Amino acid sequence: MKKIYMPSGRKGIFKIIIITAVTLCLMAAFTGCSKGGAEQAENKDGYVYVPEYKEFAVKMRYLNEITASGDKAYAVAMVQDEGEEDTYRTAFYEYDLLENTAREIAANLNDDVNVNSLLVSADGNLVTAVNQYEYEEDENGEATDVNMTMELRRISPEDGTVINSQDLANVITNIENSYIQNMCEDGQGNIYLCDGEQGIHVVDKDFKKLCDINADGWINSMAASKEGDVYITTYGENGMVLKKVDLAAKKLGDPVEGIESGSGNVNFFSSTSKSLMQSTANKLFLIDLETKTSEELFDWLDVDIDGNNVDIVGELSDGRMWTISREYSETGDKYELVYLTRKKASEVPQKEELIYGALWFDSLTRRAIINFNKSNEKYHISVKEYGNDYDGSQLAQFNADLTTQNCPDLIGLTGLDFAQYASKGIMEDMYPYMEKSGLNKEDYLENVLRAYEQDGKLYGITSQFYIVSTLAKESLVGEQTGWTLSEMLDFVEKNNPENVFMYGNRESIFRFCIYNNIDEFIDWESGKCSFDGEEFIRTLEFASKFPEEVDYNRDEEGISSRLRSNKVLLMENTVSSIQEYQMMNGMFGEKVTYIGYPNNERNGNLIQPSGGSIAISSKSKNKDGAWEFVRSILSEEYQDNLVEDNYGWGFPIRKDALEKQFEKDMTPEYYEDEEGNQVEMSKTTWGYDDFEMEIMAASKEEVDAVRELLKSADRLSGNVDSQLTNIITEEAEPFFKGQKSAKDAAGVIQNRIQIYVNENR
Amino acid sequence: MHFPKSRKKEDGLRIMEKNKKATAPLDKRGKRINSNRRRHRGRLISIGYLLPSAVGLLLFFVLPFLIVVYYSVIDNPISNQFVFLDNFVMVFQNAAFRQAAQNTFTFSISAVPLAVVLSLFLAMMLESRIPFKSQFRTFFLSPMMVPIASVVLIWQVLFHFNGMINELRAVFDLDKIDWLNSAYAQVVIVILFLWKNLGYNMILFMAALSSIPKDILEVAILESATPFQIFFHIKLRYISSTILFVTIMSLINSFKVFREIYLLKGDYPYDTMYMLQHFMNNTFSRLDYQKMSAAAIMMAIVMVIIIGILFLTENYFGKDVEG
Repeated sequence: MKKIYMPSGRKGIFKIIIITAVTLCLMAAFTGCSKGGAEQAENKDGYVYVPEYKEFAVKMRYLNEITASGDKAYAVAMVQDEGEEDTYRTAFYEYDLLENTAREIAANLNDDVNVNSLLVSADGNLVTAVNQYEYEEDENGEATDVNMTMELRRISPEDGTVINSQDLANVITNIENSYIQNMCEDGQGNIYLCDGEQGIHVVDKDFKKLCDINADGWINSMAASKEGDVYITTYGENGMVLKKVDLAAKKLGDPVEGIESGSGNVNFFSSTSKSLMQSTANKLFLIDLETKTSEELFDWLDVDIDGNNVDIVGELSDGRMWTISREYSETGDKYELVYLTRKKASEVPQKEELIYGALWFDSLTRRAIINFNKSNEKYHISVKEYGNDYDGSQLAQFNADLTTQNCPDLIGLTGLDFAQYASKGIMEDMYPYMEKSGLNKEDYLENVLRAYEQDGKLYGITSQFYIVSTLAKESLVGEQTGWTLSEMLDFVEKNNPENVFMYGNRESIFRFCIYNNIDEFIDWESGKCSFDGEEFIRTLEFASKFPEEVDYNRDEEGISSRLRSNKVLLMENTVSSIQEYQMMNGMFGEKVTYIGYPNNERNGNLIQPSGGSIAISSKSKNKDGAWEFVRSILSEEYQDNLVEDNYGWGFPIRKDALEKQFEKDMTPEYYEDEEGNQVEMSKTTWGYDDFEMEIMAASKEEVDAVRELLKSADRLSGNVDSQLTNIITEEAEPFFKGQKSAKDAAGVIQNRIQIYVNENR
Repeated sequence: MHFPKSRKKEDGLRIMEKNKKATAPLDKRGKRINSNRRRHRGRLISIGYLLPSAVGLLLFFVLPFLIVVYYSVIDNPISNQFVFLDNFVMVFQNAAFRQAAQNTFTFSISAVPLAVVLSLFLAMMLESRIPFKSQFRTFFLSPMMVPIASVVLIWQVLFHFNGMINELRAVFDLDKIDWLNSAYAQVVIVILFLWKNLGYNMILFMAALSSIPKDILEVAILESATPFQIFFHIKLRYISSTILFVTIMSLINSFKVFREIYLLKGDYPYDTMYMLQHFMNNTFSRLDYQKMSAAAIMMAIVMVIIIGILFLTENYFGKDVEG
């Protein structure tokens, strides 16, 4: 009988230790590190900021200017006239931030006055820069000319009386081209008027000019520090830099070191606890200029605010912070007053944490995540944005995370090869979740769902999309909804235009012909490629007939004229709205056929997701939570909101929301003429290149045509491996430069792509 | 590098240890307490010294290798289904892998012997009395100091379709050759490899040649041995361990030539330049870890066999000159 020896003695113990160590290491490697859990907003000291959203005491359509001092804010806003619908006036308000109450200041702000900038002076009065317009009228009361004066006024916040004023023509030399975008007051009461391009104009407390300071570039923002100095941000060599305004030397100081200003949306605000506050698209920092350090207070997403929308941030005497967030909406910007209270993390109810991982974090998804975090009581989504550098290391990190337990629960598909990732099993099939949640496939545009399918499984989704297509005159190409590559080449050769596109060059024309149908040159079954075949070589030779470089500065006739005279035959464009469709018909001067990109199936219109596409990771530990988010963007409410707010770019994927969109587009708008008749007016104006067109309500025919177009596409745009396009671009170049024959170039392309095909079979 | 063992020395140490044991004091029952304690202490100290290296070895070599083995027997890193040897079969049948293996083999079989022979030849030349010896030495070593990105840039300037070599050919009315996109591509890579590695190999050979006992060479000359006989029967035998080392290093470096090719032509070069590392790099970036791991293990096995053969060869030819 075979004996089994157990390790014994010290050697045995040593072996056990080694085996245990190896096993632990293996387990650690395969399980990865644990997630951040519910620490999303927790600071190092264990505190979090808890947001509290309040409705504004004033119902405003537009917030022109806002400034704050202590617990009071002062605002100039456009508000609705009492009892008058659709009539608005500009009003001055004092806002008690502790009580959330507003009091109108009786300043004389008539229609001819525009407040450019506003600050609270140390003496408690308000200083405003206003533009006053005076119209010269003819005998019929029609304005024939306008005179603008710019004035600096000191106003009492009690009753709005003007204490003193100064015509800024005495301060600013080139006043006609000036706009005071920002004002600050230093510790001595001097006032700094920032005119973005021209620099800074400084006046004393009596509004007497002290000096001009040149900024040598665009001034992005200006803020006064707690110490009484004034700082501006301007673009340096590596992004935005913070500089002190040196009044004595009448120049800007050197960039403040140690302050990472970044290159995105960066703003500085006054602070009562430290020198300044810095708000970026993602985070809020407290800046100490003495020690040149910055302390991160919180991530905007953790308090459910889009950092890009922050208008102002301040600190209150009771320890809370406050901010105003502005969100664009077609029906008028939406404003939120948010109070942020610092609390112990343990006192705040914790939610289950989900991670959204993406190479790029688009604004539509950002908005959706913020709305989800605000409304969902069970889950909270944190964002991990990897970025995408040239050496691909961040993509490699993303890939590594996707295959381990560090994987995000939700995957942003922007910048990823969807088909490749879907085939690896990285994404979860969402159809079973749809079924479980009672969402019917039939309620959504099936062709859009089909674009995200692989083997009948739904691996990704978008909330909004548009169509990418190629446009040609119907009189030239007929009503056909697609063409093959040969048909397209024949068509262009037959019509012999000056150019295929307005700004077409060899490379772009070749790209148009090939890049969206590369798969047709590859037989994945047999592993054979046909890039050295006749059709590919013909395409190379075809593209080489057009200019090598485009001269964008050449003074030539506009696109509309060239399309109408058939000098240019095709146009690559999108169908993102009915209005765009209407404009294209106008620009071509006749009905347009959306013939799409050439391919063998004659179905060349492509789906482009607005914002990003989203997938659920098949390795997620909380797939139900991840689905909750996806369900939220597919919900009737969310899809309807896309239509109502006209947010984003494109069409909703829910059929009923799409019909609401069409209904909205078909609804005419009227004005009343002098005789009291209702006359249809244009809904908006659209333009392209030198062409401009007033857009009226869409006709039923136009809506039907767009509906058909939206249903015609079932492939995702850009869903081609960049490795293939890179090889083709690189090897076609010597031919386009006349260094090689088309056959030789095609031969090299064939050789290199054959390896790619062999490798991936 | 080969470090010759000295059996005599080892035997000597064992005898000393034995003597120590014999002289250790006895306790009441006649046992040697101090000896045991000392041995135990010594073992603990050696474990303490070894531990950092052992942990490092485990973490950075053994563990990654075990992970590679694990990935090679699962279907993909997401579903982790055990498939045993299916990945090896799939990779072995893959046309791209075969192409890469063939190219790597062809490259190594041509570049490695050339790197050894030419560097030995250069070392012999610099051993002899020729003028500008140190300048030549510096000249051959200089490619090692040039950053790889610059090397690639120079090579592109030389071997581009409109590069210097083709310009030179045009002077003699010869047709242009697309060096980097044709069967000539591997020739370019072999030249690049030799240019980059000859200097280092040469220095190693020069060191080995200078360590050959002078008395043996003098006796050989006195015995009227020809330079040919001296080289083959004395020098070659004395530097056999260095030849083995240079061959192994060149072999390893031949696998590293991927870096240069990658910088020249990216992930998918012309087929004659497509190496095993391309296959592994590409499958890694496409998340086909299972393919990459299977290929890596197959390559490792082949490398172990080749290096084993080289060791056996060296043992056979060089045994009579070792202490």
